Amino acid sequence: MGNIVLEVKDFSFKYRQTKRKALKNVSFQVEEGSFLCVIGANGSGKSTLCNALVGLIPHYFVGKMSGEIKVNGINVAESTIANLSSEIGLVFQNPFNQLSYTAGTVAEELAYGLGNRGVPREEMVEKVKYVAELMRIDHIIHKNPLELSGGQVQRVAFGSTFIMEPKILVLDECTTQLDPLGSEEIFDIVKKLNSKGITVIMVDHEMERVARCADQIMVLDAGEIIAIDEPKKIFGNPEIVKHHIGVPDYVKITQALREKGYTDCDIEVTEEPTIELVKEALGS
Amino acid sequence: MSKVSNSFVPKHTVIEELNPMTKILAVFSLGLGTLIFPNSWLGLFVIVGLFGAAAAAKLFKEFVKIMFGFGIPITVMLIFIQGCYSPKNVTFIADLGFARLGLEGILYALKIISTLLVFLGTFYIMNKTTYTGKLVAALTNSGLPPKAGYLVLASLNVVPQMQRRMSIIQEAQSARGVETAGGMLARIKAYIPLLGPVVMSSLTDAQERGMTLETRGFGITGVKQTTYVEVKKSGLDKVLNILLILFFVVVLLITVLMKMNIL
Amino acid sequence: MSQKKKMSFAEGLKAQFSTKSLVLIPIAVGINLIGGTLCSALKLPLFLDMIGTIVIACLSGPWVSALCGLLTNVFLALVANPVYLPYSVVSILCGLVTGYMVRAGLFKKIWGTILIWLACTVTNTISASLITIFVYGGATGVTGSSVFTATLIAATRDIMMAVFSSSFLENLIDKGIAFFIAFIIVQKIPKRFLSQYASDATEEDDDED
Repeated sequence: MGNIVLEVKDFSFKYRQTKRKALKNVSFQVEEGSFLCVIGANGSGKSTLCNALVGLIPHYFVGKMSGEIKVNGINVAESTIANLSSEIGLVFQNPFNQLSYTAGTVAEELAYGLGNRGVPREEMVEKVKYVAELMRIDHIIHKNPLELSGGQVQRVAFGSTFIMEPKILVLDECTTQLDPLGSEEIFDIVKKLNSKGITVIMVDHEMERVARCADQIMVLDAGEIIAIDEPKKIFGNPEIVKHHIGVPDYVKITQALREKGYTDCDIEVTEEPTIELVKEALGS
Repeated sequence: MSKVSNSFVPKHTVIEELNPMTKILAVFSLGLGTLIFPNSWLGLFVIVGLFGAAAAAKLFKEFVKIMFGFGIPITVMLIFIQGCYSPKNVTFIADLGFARLGLEGILYALKIISTLLVFLGTFYIMNKTTYTGKLVAALTNSGLPPKAGYLVLASLNVVPQMQRRMSIIQEAQSARGVETAGGMLARIKAYIPLLGPVVMSSLTDAQERGMTLETRGFGITGVKQTTYVEVKKSGLDKVLNILLILFFVVVLLITVLMKMNIL
Repeated sequence: MSQKKKMSFAEGLKAQFSTKSLVLIPIAVGINLIGGTLCSALKLPLFLDMIGTIVIACLSGPWVSALCGLLTNVFLALVANPVYLPYSVVSILCGLVTGYMVRAGLFKKIWGTILIWLACTVTNTISASLITIFVYGGATGVTGSSVFTATLIAATRDIMMAVFSSSFLENLIDKGIAFFIAFIIVQKIPKRFLSQYASDATEEDDDED
């Protein structure tokens, strides 16, 4: 068991002037260095959860809140978004809404958050260089961020969040607006950071990717947690699967193989083991 | 007003390398000096100097265009308005038939024009030779609240983006046959479908951009904010600062002395 | 459950300048400017450069609205012509007048909107005329309105009156259309978005189930 870095206790939230609670009595814990994926249909409360984790609820969005969220032991409601930025960072969908609009170059954009913290310039320059290399944007560092492609801007946004040195990254469908190549590039970075010990909480629609990356999957429906478990247990349970949109194609393949008697394996959710099963089936 | 963009092109001139605060001081020292001075000779002298400065900043052509483009029409208008109809007029130097040209009005008009041109010229040179990011960084270092700095920079970046978005909508609307020509009323009616979508999408975007700012520590209090853009103060800056302050003080002294002699 | 708190002026001001309101300002400046651009594209003889200021007055309050007016002029001074800078006083005053009248609830009624329109027109006319006369000596260049002013001066031999009346007529029409358009836009903004900006912290929440 690793350390618990995130603890959500009986959390509920309702936006002002809406009828329904966006989140209802949500409770869960996240271990340090783990990779949690959050799935669920539109309007199931995924984005609200992300906003709550980084403190945008209750410090930015107004509404009615109950329960408690603790990030590395800090009570989110009693801290500030700025203070939380060194613990937890958020990257969301629209890349162009994640620019500060104060920067004339990518380097300035990356440094913006550090500037707000009052970090000395020499240190800033060093960190910008490191993060730009990590995000593979060092070749466009002197370009105007508003003139870049969506994929490039998303990497800039990612870098601008990561430069604040959070220990937890919250990714709210951060590749939905990108082309396949652009989103794969982002994912390589996410996996690399996760392997370096950064805790990742990711909302995503691509079930193949979710199955491949996640240690744990959380299923949300209408603001409530339906289940939190390992990928195989989530996708293998028909009671859970009916709450959201789909399962990885590999699940269907293994199920078909089992029905036809080619294998006695229960379920596979990722590419390689499924290929092995198919090979075995073809060989027999 | 149709095309608004503020693209700064680096030309690596001495004026460009100056600290933005020196240039701001120049706008005020030269502008206010001209304003308080009793006649327009000082203004004329400064304006000639500004043409030199514009040449040094490799801006001569544009500078000539803006100075004459603004200067000639306003001179014509003001000499007409003030020269013919100023209540101060007592000495008449010509009779135009419909009105008499008064000396006092003309002198007053010349004074206004020279002051305006000094402000216009210094501001233009400052603006064209300074990267806005550097200007705001310099102002922030001198105590401008970071939130105010944000507003200036964000406006400069957001507006061209909104304009691009609107021109896309405009093209789409006219491709779908939405009327953008025709009578006055038809054109006013076409206005809202063009403006509306940009306004709505921009408002929701703004809310997300606010989220971004918050998570980047916007508005942290009790910390002196720093910037990536480097703002240096060279020896030349120090010399120029002293000269500019000296200029204003001397002008002020001469003005006071002249007023006392007259009184 | 609902509890209405009276905020002090300073508290109210601080609430107006939250990040959420602040990010709207560049957008409102943009609306002001593209309003003007669109006029020239559609060849309308108007400015309509106050629509953003009116919209933001409804969302965030009078001082944010005033700041939006100021920034519009600063922007124009930086990218177009410094001549616009002294007129920022006009934009600030119009923002304040509109903001306070909107806060008094006048923008919800037709007669109230007409009242704001007239108040704003008068504010604009007087302050702009004073600047034209005392900063620029009567004209800012050869524009339609300056020539009109000059003609009036020639006819009436009174600089003050001529500048006032030419500016008043122009403003009355321009502000009328601007308020009409802003009224339509504000009606169209989604409730959920507006609720995040409601200035008084009353919770109308009635719990479900």
